[in-house]
Amino acid sequence: MTQSFKGPRFSRRTLLKTTAAAAAIAPMSRLWIPGAHAADNPIRLGLVTPLSGAQEMIGSFVRHGAEIAVEKINADGGVNGRPLALEIRDSKANPAAATVAARELLGQGVNLQLGTISSAVALAMGPLMQAAGGTVLTCGAGTEKLNHENYSPNVFRVGDSPYSRQYGLIRLIAERYPNVTSWGGIIPDHEYGRTTWAIFVDAMLNIFPQVTGKQPEIQRPILVPYGAGDYKNFIAAAVRQPFEGLYTSAYGGDAVTLFQQAKPFGLFEKTKVVVDSANEFLVPLAMKDQTPDTWTGTHWYFNGNTDNPMSKHLYDAYVARTGNKYPMGWAAEAHAAVYAYKAALEKTGGETKADAIIAALKGLTFDSATGKRTLRAEDNQAIKNVEIMRISPKADNPDGFAVTDFVSVPGDSVVEPARPGQKLELKSL
Amino acid sequence: MMTLATRTTPLLALWPLAVGLILFALAPALLNQGLVFLAGLTLVNIVFAQAWNLLFSTIGLLSFGQAMFFAIGAYAMAAGPQQAGGGPFLMWLGIATGLGALAAIVFGIVALRRSGGIYFAVLTLAFAELVHVLITKTDWLGRNDGLTGIYRPTIELGIATIDLTQGDAYYWFMLVACGLASALLWWAGHGVLGRSFRAIRQDPVRAAFLGLDVDRHRLAAFAISGAASAFAGAVSAPWMQIVTPELAHWSMSTKPVLYALLGGAGSFWGPAIGAILFGAVEYATRTMHGIADITTGLMLLAVVLAIPGGVMGLVMTLRARRGATARATPAPHARRPQEQTP
Repeated sequence: MTQSFKGPRFSRRTLLKTTAAAAAIAPMSRLWIPGAHAADNPIRLGLVTPLSGAQEMIGSFVRHGAEIAVEKINADGGVNGRPLALEIRDSKANPAAATVAARELLGQGVNLQLGTISSAVALAMGPLMQAAGGTVLTCGAGTEKLNHENYSPNVFRVGDSPYSRQYGLIRLIAERYPNVTSWGGIIPDHEYGRTTWAIFVDAMLNIFPQVTGKQPEIQRPILVPYGAGDYKNFIAAAVRQPFEGLYTSAYGGDAVTLFQQAKPFGLFEKTKVVVDSANEFLVPLAMKDQTPDTWTGTHWYFNGNTDNPMSKHLYDAYVARTGNKYPMGWAAEAHAAVYAYKAALEKTGGETKADAIIAALKGLTFDSATGKRTLRAEDNQAIKNVEIMRISPKADNPDGFAVTDFVSVPGDSVVEPARPGQKLELKSL
Repeated sequence: MMTLATRTTPLLALWPLAVGLILFALAPALLNQGLVFLAGLTLVNIVFAQAWNLLFSTIGLLSFGQAMFFAIGAYAMAAGPQQAGGGPFLMWLGIATGLGALAAIVFGIVALRRSGGIYFAVLTLAFAELVHVLITKTDWLGRNDGLTGIYRPTIELGIATIDLTQGDAYYWFMLVACGLASALLWWAGHGVLGRSFRAIRQDPVRAAFLGLDVDRHRLAAFAISGAASAFAGAVSAPWMQIVTPELAHWSMSTKPVLYALLGGAGSFWGPAIGAILFGAVEYATRTMHGIADITTGLMLLAVVLAIPGGVMGLVMTLRARRGATARATPAPHARRPQEQTP
């Protein structure tokens, strides 16, 4: 298209180029706009958690839990008269991206951080925070190394340790099902899966004979690949094994796939007890009335804590924000992490330097949605009750399932002794 | 402009490197530690992208598995000293780089003679995935959790000791190391060897007829590229303080491809500009939770559609047009990035 008049001419290409250039420059303008929150001098907390990718669902619980806590604290007058502000970053479920985000926040002077749910990231945080003068409160990272061989004074776990979680589950099993002596496992073939199984075996060998006077028989675990779409062969192998109790620590979407594929094989008909270490409402929300009757560990069950105003507020605020009636425990972990920082800041008088905060957090007892938690001074591990729900299919319930039982095991009865810097020692078969 | 590399003295042709080094050297003085950290990562990404581009633009090999070399380098630097109980840092850097070259040679012997073009690209992808799986299954490489607690070294030079553990010292080391690597890559692509590479890319049959051993040259290019990628990985490990199997994941292999597309694969400095731009965009979109990657992807798409030769392609087109108007000859059609120096 040539045009006869002299003047600006826009071709399609020019338009494309301009659009691309504008698109490229638009986000960059944010680089030079200083933050609009210098006025009220808030205490800034950094939240680094997955907000995209495979773990985004868990990350969204973490984010909501932290935001609800911060809003409530600010509505009640803040900490020492100063409001809290969250600086939120996406860890993209990638350890490298998570450390980049953590360092970027540290560079801005945000040295009090929380939100880690990944074991790999949690382990990387120790040396990083020690070097840069920061602290991080993890919100569901499951590795036992955190308070053992990779212990770092700058990293705290506000939730139950994997050891407490498995010991709580086994105590419940031994008390409720003393006649189910033969156990098998379907375990994801990665770090978390193998760790949970090793602790499961150790707890079985220690507690089951103590409580029941019987020796448990434990089959070889069936290791399933992580992130696989097809578990049928593994399920078939499990059906052939002569166990009556099934333990699984398959995680997230993998657990849903596994349970859905196991249903037609009759795996749940043959087992008397199914124990799931950590999936909370994930499987029943996907399977509705096809859900097998399962005991699952949880960081927090809202109806198990109805006499606790913090829990009630967290639940009501969460439902009001999202419309989802089934918040999962990670929300309470992040919520607790914010309250732990609040209590620590009140102790330090608003001082945010790492050594002051660490000194305030060590041995700290604070209120949370699951009741009182204490951060053990020796290894930064929270002593917290282990919450376990029984979820059963209920065809007449609109969701297809219901929580039919709830157990809360006191934390100090199941937590391992503090041995920072040393490997967790476990009995094995 | 010309399809043959023009001869210029290396020192003059390396002026963009000098400018880049000066700009990066200003970072610790001007920026906070978070941004300095990102600048360090960008330095590594630049070398990584230039190593990939040595294959793509010089000898015409498309690698979709470049992450395997990066991961080999990073893991050698992380696991080596941990397993052997320390050892001189420069020795480990050498070992890591050597392992990258060795892996490239082994892979090249298997794949290069049997495949070309897209088949070769798919094979590189498969091999990288194999490395990824091997890492996740190996205890002393930390399996899925990766390795942490990677030490920042002190370099013993006999006469002096350089301590890289304090402050920005390791950043300065990265600046020097990546600058050297970049200069060496430039030399590899522009010297006698580089000209042979280009001849092979343009017409392997003719190059063979003229007496060039095509297979051996491809293997050499692959080894150089693998070594440089592993070097980038090894330099990054003490900086990141964490290595995880994601380093060998296919998404890591797409990074240098994206940098080259964005900056322009037709120029040696294109991928470097791409890596810097990409880092800037990632930083700028860091608070756009959940949509940051989509935004980045759409921008990249827009740039690739609007300027097919990337940023450097655009620069060269403009240069060519200016030259053309001056000489009143029609401008060369600039759909494809023209090869030039720098």
